[in-house]
Amino acid sequence: MSPPAIRFKDITKSFPGYTAVEAINLDVSSGRFLSVVGPSGCGKSTLLNMAAGLMTPSGGSVEIFGEPLNGINRKAGYMFQQDALLPWKTVLDNILLGLELRGADPKAAEQTARDWIHRVGLDGFADRYPHQLSGGMRKRVAMAQTWITDPAIVFMDEPFGALDVHTRLRMEGEILGLWAETKKTVMFVTHDLEEAIALSDEVVVLSAGPASHIVGVYQVDLERPRNLIDIKTDPRFTEIYGSIWRDLREEVLKSYERNEKV
Amino acid sequence: MLVWQLLLGAAFVAAWQAGVSAKLMDKFFFSRPSDIALRVWQMFAAGTVWGHLGTTLLEAALSFVIGVSTGVLFGFVLARNKFLAALLDPYIRVTNALPRVVLAPIFLLWFGLGIWSKVALGVTVVFFIVFFNTFQGVREVDPVIVNNARMLGANERQLIRHVLIPSALTWIFSSLHISIGFAIIAVVVGEYLGASKGIGYMISQAEGVFDTTGVFAGMTILAAVVLCVGAGVDRLERYLLRWKAHNTNTGSAEVS
Ligand SMILES: Nc1ncnc2c1ncn2[C@@H]1O[C@H](COP(=O)(O)OP(=O)(O)O)[C@@H](O)[C@H]1O
Ligand SMILES: [Mg+2]
Repeated sequence: MSPPAIRFKDITKSFPGYTAVEAINLDVSSGRFLSVVGPSGCGKSTLLNMAAGLMTPSGGSVEIFGEPLNGINRKAGYMFQQDALLPWKTVLDNILLGLELRGADPKAAEQTARDWIHRVGLDGFADRYPHQLSGGMRKRVAMAQTWITDPAIVFMDEPFGALDVHTRLRMEGEILGLWAETKKTVMFVTHDLEEAIALSDEVVVLSAGPASHIVGVYQVDLERPRNLIDIKTDPRFTEIYGSIWRDLREEVLKSYERNEKV
Repeated sequence: MLVWQLLLGAAFVAAWQAGVSAKLMDKFFFSRPSDIALRVWQMFAAGTVWGHLGTTLLEAALSFVIGVSTGVLFGFVLARNKFLAALLDPYIRVTNALPRVVLAPIFLLWFGLGIWSKVALGVTVVFFIVFFNTFQGVREVDPVIVNNARMLGANERQLIRHVLIPSALTWIFSSLHISIGFAIIAVVVGEYLGASKGIGYMISQAEGVFDTTGVFAGMTILAAVVLCVGAGVDRLERYLLRWKAHNTNTGSAEVS
């Protein structure tokens, strides 16, 4: 059997005076769409950052396709929770940045970037700067920027959290479309359980922090391709939602209680 | 608004002129706008001012270029090297706390009456302004943007070029406005204290013979030069920072 795309081996991450996650063991098989859900502040971004090589674990190790990860994960792309576009670069230059950094031929890179601009529906916006775009458009640019280098693994950290429902639904559809074409391994973080189930093959629930651990791993055996609107009324969806929510609710309540005390 | 601003200026000059003509203000101490304008005109017509102006501008330009390049360089190196920054921190503070004017006589001794003593004085002023701003600018780079660039494959050199320099530019530019003004002031002070050429020397000469009109004429020329150079920097800034939202709140415009 081929090794998993990402393997968390007994991962612990402590900050001074605070343990964020503890004893995390998790395999993400190649080509899977896996979501991580959990109350906010439980350590979801921390997990992604360790798998991306932006943060070193305090204990344990991360393996990428069987190789121990050292430094930046060169096989991965990362769509960040916050706005991460380079504000001084135009849409075109932002999108082709990954190719430029790899020393690609400028003409070819520009052509590829223009194809991506078309693909994410930003025709006519190539020369705009990020501050001239709406939140949804900036997310489209970020999506193209991440996918253009064709990484084997894509990390997405609550990418659509700040968008309105309508835009969000469209973007989720586009992500699924892209993923279906390329069969990349996706690790997707969200605090929205419905979103997690609708998109994923597998949902991982984290407990409330500190020292957050995995509460459960759930398989989502809904058919693909999925219609993101109809799926939410599918009886099987409701069933899966119910069983995950029972576990997640406990954690959310715990984290509320803790916040009350603070 | 511009109209009102011009009106205010005109009213001020008119009141000044009227005050002196009506003998409310002593002409000896305050001169008269019309006399000053006439003197400026004569100075340019006779061509005597060009040499002085050229010297002052050359000194200011040299101190500006040397101060900015060393300031940017040191700012970058120290912002990227925590150990060096911590090591040098107290010395930088002490040096910066020195009033520059007391350095002027020392520079005169070291570098002589020529342009280099003035350039040295200007550099000490410009360097620190640009240094602190660059240091701050590089330190305040949004870490998410740095992480994004690194995930997209940027190595250290590419990070500096694509992220750190553009990000620090905002800060560097806000310091350029101030440092150009200060560079000119510093070299003029230097000339005033001891020189054989330059606008500062011209002013001190006029003062030596109680020629108030000459002093004001020198000041007028100086102010005009600072304004022109400032407008040039403005244009350059608008071009290089065209990616920014045009917002009065320049510091946090890109955060939201
Ligand atoms: N650099 C850091 N220094 C100190 N604490 C941190 C740091 N990064 C994250 N944390 C803490 O770790 C916990 C998990 O953070 P994070 O992974 O961002 O949570 P999530 O993404 O699930 O909302 C939080 O309590 C946060 O305060
Ligand atoms: Mg997070």
